[in-house]
Amino acid sequence: MVDAQMVREFTDLLSENGVITDEVGLRSYECDGLTGFRQVPALVVLPRDAEEVAGAVRLCAEYGMPFVARGAGTGLSGGAMPVADGVVISLQKLRRILEIDVENRRAVLEPGVYNLEISKAAAPHGLYYAPDPSSQQVCTIGGNVAENSGGAHCLKYGFTTNHVLEMEVVLADGSVVTLGGPTGEQAGPDLRGLFIGSEGTLGVCTKVTVRLLQTPQSVRTVLADFPSIEAAGDTVGDIVDAAIIPAAVEMMDSLAMEASEAATGAGLTVDSPAALIIELDGPADEVEAEFEQLTAICERHGATRLHVPQEAEERQKVWKGRKAAFAAVGRISPDYIVQDGVVPRTRLAEVLTRIADMGRDAGLRVANVFHAGDGNLHPLVLYSEAAGEHDAAEKLSTDIAELCVELGGSLSGEHGIGTDKACSMPAMFSEDDLGVMHRVRLAFDPDSRCNPGKLFPTPRLCGERPGKYQPHPLEEAGVIERL
Amino acid sequence: MSTPAVKTVTPTTVDELRDAVLDHPGTLRVAGAGTAADWAGTPAPADTVLDVTGLSGIVTHNPGDMTVEVRAGTPFAALQDELAQHHQRVAVDPARAAEGATLGGLFATADSGPRSLQYGSLRDLVIGATVVLPDGTTARSGGHVIKNVAGYDLTKVLHGAHGTLAVIAGLVLRLHPAPRSTPTAAVPTDRAGMADLARRVADSPVEAVAVQWHADRLLVLFEGSEDGADARARRLVETVGGELLAANEATAAWDAHGAAVRARPEGRAVFRLGVIPAALPGVLDGLEADAGALTEVTASPRTGIATVALPADADLVAAAHRRVAEAGGTSSLRQRPDGASLPAFGPAPASAVLLRAVAASLDPEQRLGRGRLAPWVPLPETTGVTA
Repeated sequence: MVDAQMVREFTDLLSENGVITDEVGLRSYECDGLTGFRQVPALVVLPRDAEEVAGAVRLCAEYGMPFVARGAGTGLSGGAMPVADGVVISLQKLRRILEIDVENRRAVLEPGVYNLEISKAAAPHGLYYAPDPSSQQVCTIGGNVAENSGGAHCLKYGFTTNHVLEMEVVLADGSVVTLGGPTGEQAGPDLRGLFIGSEGTLGVCTKVTVRLLQTPQSVRTVLADFPSIEAAGDTVGDIVDAAIIPAAVEMMDSLAMEASEAATGAGLTVDSPAALIIELDGPADEVEAEFEQLTAICERHGATRLHVPQEAEERQKVWKGRKAAFAAVGRISPDYIVQDGVVPRTRLAEVLTRIADMGRDAGLRVANVFHAGDGNLHPLVLYSEAAGEHDAAEKLSTDIAELCVELGGSLSGEHGIGTDKACSMPAMFSEDDLGVMHRVRLAFDPDSRCNPGKLFPTPRLCGERPGKYQPHPLEEAGVIERL
Repeated sequence: MSTPAVKTVTPTTVDELRDAVLDHPGTLRVAGAGTAADWAGTPAPADTVLDVTGLSGIVTHNPGDMTVEVRAGTPFAALQDELAQHHQRVAVDPARAAEGATLGGLFATADSGPRSLQYGSLRDLVIGATVVLPDGTTARSGGHVIKNVAGYDLTKVLHGAHGTLAVIAGLVLRLHPAPRSTPTAAVPTDRAGMADLARRVADSPVEAVAVQWHADRLLVLFEGSEDGADARARRLVETVGGELLAANEATAAWDAHGAAVRARPEGRAVFRLGVIPAALPGVLDGLEADAGALTEVTASPRTGIATVALPADADLVAAAHRRVAEAGGTSSLRQRPDGASLPAFGPAPASAVLLRAVAASLDPEQRLGRGRLAPWVPLPETTGVTA
């Protein structure tokens, strides 16, 4: 529990502006982007640099307090939800770009730097940072490290883990270590790779060195409408078979397009059953040649319209139609759940058919927006809280994630497990698999004070019986609810 | 103390591997094709050798998904041959592949080749693993899909673990299409000029997938369509000089490069290092100042990774590790003459504490690969046969 002495010590360390104790201030940290899970923290602290982060973590250690590191709070799995009687360590003041090293093509960043700011700072030098989660304007690189974030372009360029070279990390006892190195060359096991994507459960990242890439010479994008989801899916298969690796391949179904077009006016065809947004980048001549191949493949599969934006601005507009799709769904449904699952790409048609059947059985609509190139689905389960559809929607959403596992895929492609899917982990991993992960966790954090209750299924969260999701006792009592 | 005969067991399935781990108490040494037997720390004598070359072959290959699951003892070259029939490949090119190195061995030793500039190392391409812990626990992490953030990326911690922590039984990898054309441009330069030249290559829009300096030439590798990749290679030659190599010349140049990387020069220690690219020329000069002329050098001035041979002298090797560490880099020993006692790694980083904690958690009795990560993970106080 927080007492006056503890608050005094945090205030001595961080100044009065760096410690939040009032109810209203605390409440603004009670959830992340997954707003159905809420927990008011006992204390929020706002260190200004890495040294203060380490000091704050040391104080937490002294008082035996659990803590949750938090970036911009845009996560969609409840990973940054506070812990009861715990401390939130906000990294929003660590926002400096420490170095753009043009010669060695890397950037050194504090964890609170927004993802898009990296590319903006690198752009004058003809360089950029590749991972581009849809929330890139407002999500932080520290959060990207915690979640191993991807984005539309990760099919060709990979994920956060492929772009982070080195990190400074504060461990649970307040000690500071460096993981990774200046190159891909490793001496000893890859602890950097283990840390990335660990959802804040192994420590707090306070400095990140990322690789910067040369801005592609040429970018070509096509928005192609198709008479069916299957035709769009087959098109993606043929693109892969033609040995073309697009920078991005995104698919939207008619419901998603209807919503997005209403919100953005991006030029999507609302009555088309499916559309692909495909982007190629690279050397100009080769992009041009591949683009011809690509449009021929689309036409072979009966594309009903090929829209090729010519200017960068027009291309941005098409991308806006895709990236704004989640939020836009609010226009066609009072409430919705964003799901995130992965199937092997060749099973896309199968999973979409099953999802449609499951939606019909549940009496709920499901809109689909997804990264078709890598099989990462984002089904949006539409429902009405007022009509009492919440539980059915929640169950459908969980069933879809577990269906992905059944088809040889994963519970999450980029949003993480967090609080949201911890109870589904046994659907994907055996008790032994999870046991080994837990042993590693305890090696880093013996008292489990870094973001406890996340990622791992716990009896408290999931009930005594490991396995399928069971409602939290507080949910049953009506105290909390899942989105 | 007389040394008892070392048993060798050759499991052919994951279950047999688990049984072998459980049925043979005492210390274990994992052996693959033996192409990196003298890399990293000198292994302490083990009670049993786990020969994993019996765990061989493709489990599943899904060409449409561009993924493949293989048993850990599968030779890398054999896998590439199989994948080539589907116009696919694993996009790494470690030199040891030519000697029969296995997937598990290449992964455990964190080996990489010239194409790491573009594709990274196996750590970037392995998307799942099945492992057996020293207590017989069989665990899986990752999966069969390229995009996956469920649970810890446990596989990573075995990349560079040199046969410690857990036995790798199988790996799942993401694949890339085989390029239709792979032209190479060769530009003459001495070591002093390689960095500037490589910078000019990087600043031009030619998108090279590998840039390596060897035998007084910068070799620049391109991949793509016949027209596209060749045109880029020619454009580079027009810009910076040199020549576009004929196919047989290119093969010979890269074969010679690979042979130099995996060479075991008589009486010398092979030292691998990675520093920030701009620091590489200075570090190489420093090593030369300490150890005398560097005769066998391959280096990538864009990745900052180099392989050099040094005199097999403990003080000189320790000094080389220190130089690299002072430049903020990492280094490890890749081979030592028989019986030579040379430091495998540089000064222990602060993260060695974590390494020891992870080792204590996964292999508390240090059954696997004892000595491989020494001195970062020191030998237990009581050594010797524990069976």
